[in-house]
Amino acid sequence: MSIAKVKRLLVWIPIFIFSLLWLVIAGAPFLFMALSTFKTQFEMLTGGVFALPQSFYLSNLVTVVTGGFWNYFLNSVIVVTISLFLLLMITSFAAYPLSRFKFKFRNTIFSTIVACMAIPIHVALIPIFVMMRNIGLFDSIWALIGPYIAFNLPISVFILTTFMGLIPREMEEAAEIDGCSKYRIFFTIMLPLSKPGLATLAIFNAINMWNEFVFAFVLTQSMGSRTLPLAIWEFQGQYTNHVPLMMTVLTLTAVPMIIAFIIGQDRLIKGMMVGAVKG
Amino acid sequence: MNDNHNPTLSSIRKRSTHIAAAVFLSPALLFLVIFVLYPIINTFQLSTYNWSGISPTRTFIGLDNWRELMSDTIFWRAFQNNITLMVLSLVFQVPFALLLATILDAAGKRFNIFKVIWFLPLLMSTVAVGFLFRFVLDANFGLITFFSRLLGGGPIDLLGHPDRALFAVIGVVAWRFIPFYMVLYLAGYSSLPDELYEAAIIDGASQSQYFWRVALPLLTPVIRSGAILSIVGSLAFFDLTFVMTGGGPSHASELMATHMYRSTFLTMRMSYGATIAGAMFILITTIALITIKLLSRKEKQQL
Amino acid sequence: MKKRILVLALALCMLFGILAACAPSGSDKTVIEFWHIQTTEPQVSIIERAVERFIEANPQYEVNIVTIMNDNYKERILIAMAANEVPDIFISWSGGPMIEYIEAGHIADITDLFNDSGLLNRYLEGGIAQATYNGRIWGVPTESVAVASVFYNKDIFANLGLSVPRTIGELEQVADTLVANDIIPFALANGPRWTGSFYYMYLATRYAGLEPFQNAVSGAGSFEHPSFEFAGDRIIDWVNRGFFAPGFNGNDEDAGQSRQLMYSEQAAMHVMGNWFVGQMMGENEAFIDKVGVFAFPAYENSNAHPDIAIGTAGDNFYHVSSTASSKEGAFNLIMQLLDDQAVQERVDSGMIPPVRGVQPELPLTRDVMAIIQRAPEVQLWYDQFLPPEVAQVHLSTSQALFGLQTTPQQANAEMQAAMVAYRNR
Repeated sequence: MSIAKVKRLLVWIPIFIFSLLWLVIAGAPFLFMALSTFKTQFEMLTGGVFALPQSFYLSNLVTVVTGGFWNYFLNSVIVVTISLFLLLMITSFAAYPLSRFKFKFRNTIFSTIVACMAIPIHVALIPIFVMMRNIGLFDSIWALIGPYIAFNLPISVFILTTFMGLIPREMEEAAEIDGCSKYRIFFTIMLPLSKPGLATLAIFNAINMWNEFVFAFVLTQSMGSRTLPLAIWEFQGQYTNHVPLMMTVLTLTAVPMIIAFIIGQDRLIKGMMVGAVKG
Repeated sequence: MNDNHNPTLSSIRKRSTHIAAAVFLSPALLFLVIFVLYPIINTFQLSTYNWSGISPTRTFIGLDNWRELMSDTIFWRAFQNNITLMVLSLVFQVPFALLLATILDAAGKRFNIFKVIWFLPLLMSTVAVGFLFRFVLDANFGLITFFSRLLGGGPIDLLGHPDRALFAVIGVVAWRFIPFYMVLYLAGYSSLPDELYEAAIIDGASQSQYFWRVALPLLTPVIRSGAILSIVGSLAFFDLTFVMTGGGPSHASELMATHMYRSTFLTMRMSYGATIAGAMFILITTIALITIKLLSRKEKQQL
Repeated sequence: MKKRILVLALALCMLFGILAACAPSGSDKTVIEFWHIQTTEPQVSIIERAVERFIEANPQYEVNIVTIMNDNYKERILIAMAANEVPDIFISWSGGPMIEYIEAGHIADITDLFNDSGLLNRYLEGGIAQATYNGRIWGVPTESVAVASVFYNKDIFANLGLSVPRTIGELEQVADTLVANDIIPFALANGPRWTGSFYYMYLATRYAGLEPFQNAVSGAGSFEHPSFEFAGDRIIDWVNRGFFAPGFNGNDEDAGQSRQLMYSEQAAMHVMGNWFVGQMMGENEAFIDKVGVFAFPAYENSNAHPDIAIGTAGDNFYHVSSTASSKEGAFNLIMQLLDDQAVQERVDSGMIPPVRGVQPELPLTRDVMAIIQRAPEVQLWYDQFLPPEVAQVHLSTSQALFGLQTTPQQANAEMQAAMVAYRNR
C-alpha cells in the first residue's frame, strides 16, 4: 500500500468510528420511539422504555391508523404543501433585493426582518385568533397558512439572503450588460442557482410546519380541520398518558418526513452549479 | 451637455432599483406587517395595562409592569440561563455541526446513510424528544444511571437537580439542533462550484488543504449566519425546556419564554406576560443586531 | 410563466376554501358548543353516548363536542375568554380559577335552574359546595370524586412485617425500615410539582386542621403559621432521611416515572389520588391485587380531625357560559352527563361519580370510598383552590422545599407576600 493510502486510512478510520458513535447517539432515541409502537402500556412501564418489545404487538398501529389519522394526515399535507410553496416563493422574492441591490432602506429592512425572529409566537396567538374569527377563517386549515408563512419568513429570508450572497456576481453583471431586466435575472439566473439554499429551506420549513403545534391548536377546533400534531391528544388524558399509542402517532408522523428527506436530500449534493457556469 | 436637466443614467438606474426592490419585497413585508408587526405593537400596548386576560375590564397602569420586571428575580435568572444556553450552543453546536457537514461533504455518496440518520433528531417532535429524554435521564431507570452503575457508581440525578437541570436541557437542545446547522453547512458546501475543488486538486492541494484554505473561508458567510441563528434561537427558546422541566426545578432551568408563558396562561396575568415578551423582543433584537454589526465589521476588515 | 399560473391556481383554491368555510350551515337548530377535557376512552364514549341521549330527548338542539387535552385546555379557554368567544359549556376544576371566571362574568348562575330541575339532591353535598360562591351555584360536579390517600404495596409490607401506620410517627418508622431494606418509601415524581404538594397539604392539615389555610387565604390569618412550618420541616427531614427516589424532584408524573417505581417494587408507597386505580387498570391490572390503601395518618401531637381529606368532589366542574344562547339547554345537557346510565357506565370503568348511592365494584375503590365517606371535610388541592398566581408560588415553594433550596420560613414568607399582593391588585 502506498504511503498516501495509509495516511488516508489513518485519517478515515477514526473519522469512521466517530461517525458511527454519533450515528448511535443521533439515531437511538428515534429507534426507541419507533420500537415503542410495538409495546403495550404494561410493557412500557414494567420492562422499561429501552427494552426491546416482546413481540410485534400491532394493536397500537391498528388503533391509530383506523382512527382519524388519515384525516389529520391529509390536513397536514394540504397545509404544509401550500404554505411551503408560497413561503419559498415569497422568500426568494425578498432575498433577491436584500442580497443584491443597493438601496436606501436595505439595512433597515434587513434588521427589521431579523428583529421579527425575536418574537415569541405566543404573543401573536390572541391577536391572530381574533383576526381569524373576524374574517371567518377560524377552525379551518386555511387559517394556518398565513401564520405559517409569516412566522417562518424571517429565518427563511435571513438564510436565503446569505446563500444568494454566495452566488458570484459575474453572471448577473453579464446579464445586465446584455440588457436583462432585474425580473428576468431573478427568474433565469438567481432562482436556479439558489437551489441548495431553497432545498435547505424547503427541508427546514417543511419540518417546522409539519410538527407545528401552537397555531394549529389555537386556530382549529373541530376534528375535520385538525392537523397531525394534534393527533396525539386522543391518547393523552387528564391523568393517564397512553404512551405506546402516543409513540405510535409520533413515529407515523415522522415517517413521511424521513421519506421526503431521503428523496430530497440529493439536492444538497455538489454539482448544482456546473450547468450554470458552462452555460 | 447640460446634465442638470436630463436625468443621469445612474439616477434612472437608482429609481428602477428602488421600484424593483419594492416589488420584490412587498409580499414578504405584507405578511410580516399583518401577522408579526401588528401583534408586536399589540404586545407593547398590552404591557401598559393591568389585565388578567379574561376580565372584560382592564386598567391602564403605564410603566408599572416594566418596573416590576426590573426587579423580577425570576426573569433575570431566566435571562442568565438564556445567555448560558446561547454561549454553550455557540461553542458546541456550531463547530460540531461544521465537523459533521465537512465529513459528509468529503465522504460524498458513501456516507448517505450517515446523512439520513444524523438528520433524525430534527424530525422528532418536541413531545417525543421531551418524553424520551426524560426517560434517558431518569435517575433510576435511565441510560445515564445505567452507565454510572456499570462503572460502579450510583444513580445520577440530572433533571431533578437544580445545578444540573439547565445543562441537561442544553445537552438535549444540542442533540436536537446540531442536524439543523449540519444541513445548513452542507448546503453551503454545495453552493461552492465544483470547479474550485478540481482546480485546487490540479494545483496540487490535498483534500485537507482544500478545506482549510479554500472551502472554509468561502463558507464564512454561512457559518456567520448559523451563529446568528443560534444566538437568536437560544434567546427565544421555549419548546423543549417547557416539555422537559417546565423551567424547574425551582426555576433552575427557567428561560424567558417559559416565564412569559406561565405569566400569560397559567397565572392569569396576561399583561405581565406581554411585558416579558416585549422585554424579550428588545433584548434579542439588540443583541442580534449588535452581533451582525460586529461580524460584518470583521468581514470588512478581512477584505 | 408556469409558476405564475400555479400561483394563480393556488390562490383560486384558497378562495374557494374560504368561501366553503363561510357557507352557512343552513340549520335552524340551536347549537350548543361543548368543550371538555376527557380525551381518552372510556370517558370519551361515555360522554358521547350521554350527549346522544340528550339530543334524542331534545331534538331542537345540535351539540358540537370539542375535546381538548388537559394542559392545553388552560391555554385555550383563556384565549377564548380573552377574545370573548366562550363556548356554551366548558369546564374548570373549581377553586381559584373558577372564581376568576365568575368575577370576570363568564359563568352563568345556575342556582335557579338547579333548584327547578329537582335534581339538586342527586349530587354529593361536597361537590355542590365546591361549586358554590357567594351563596350561588355556578357549576356542576361531574367527573370523578378524587381524594389523595396513601397506596401501598401489601406484599412488601407483609414481607417486612410492617403494619398500616396510624400516626405520622409510625409512618416515619415504616419509612425508616423500608430505607434500611433498600426500598424507597415514597414513589414521588415531583416534576409537575402538584404531586409533592399532596405531602405538604396533608402535613399542614394534620398539624392543625383546615383553619390556618382558610384563614391565610381569607386574610384573617397568615401563611406564616406553625402548620406550614411543620409541613416544610417534615418534608426537608424526609428528603434528608432518603424517603424519596433519586431524581424525584424532576421526574415526570404523567409519563409514569412514579408508577414505574411502584410496579418494579422498588418503592412501597404512593401518595396519590384514586385515579391511580384507573391508571393501574390500564397499565398493569394484575398489580392491583398487591395494592392496599390507607388515609394519610394523623399527627400524634395534634387534635386536628384525622380524617380530613384533600381532594375534590367532582374533579371537572361543568359550567354554562353567561353568553350561551340557551342556558336551559346547556344546563340540561350537563344534567344528562350523569343520568343513571352514565353513572353506571362510569362506575363500571372504575370512576366515582359525585352522586349519592354509588357502589364501586373493586375492593380497592371501595376502600377509597370509605376514606372519602369518613371525611368531615374535603379541602380542594391548594393549587386549584388558590388564585392562579398564588397557586404558582405555592407549587414553586413546595418544590423548593423538596429540593432543599429554601427554608419553611422563607417559603411561608413568599406565600404570604404573594397572597397579599393578589389581594391588593
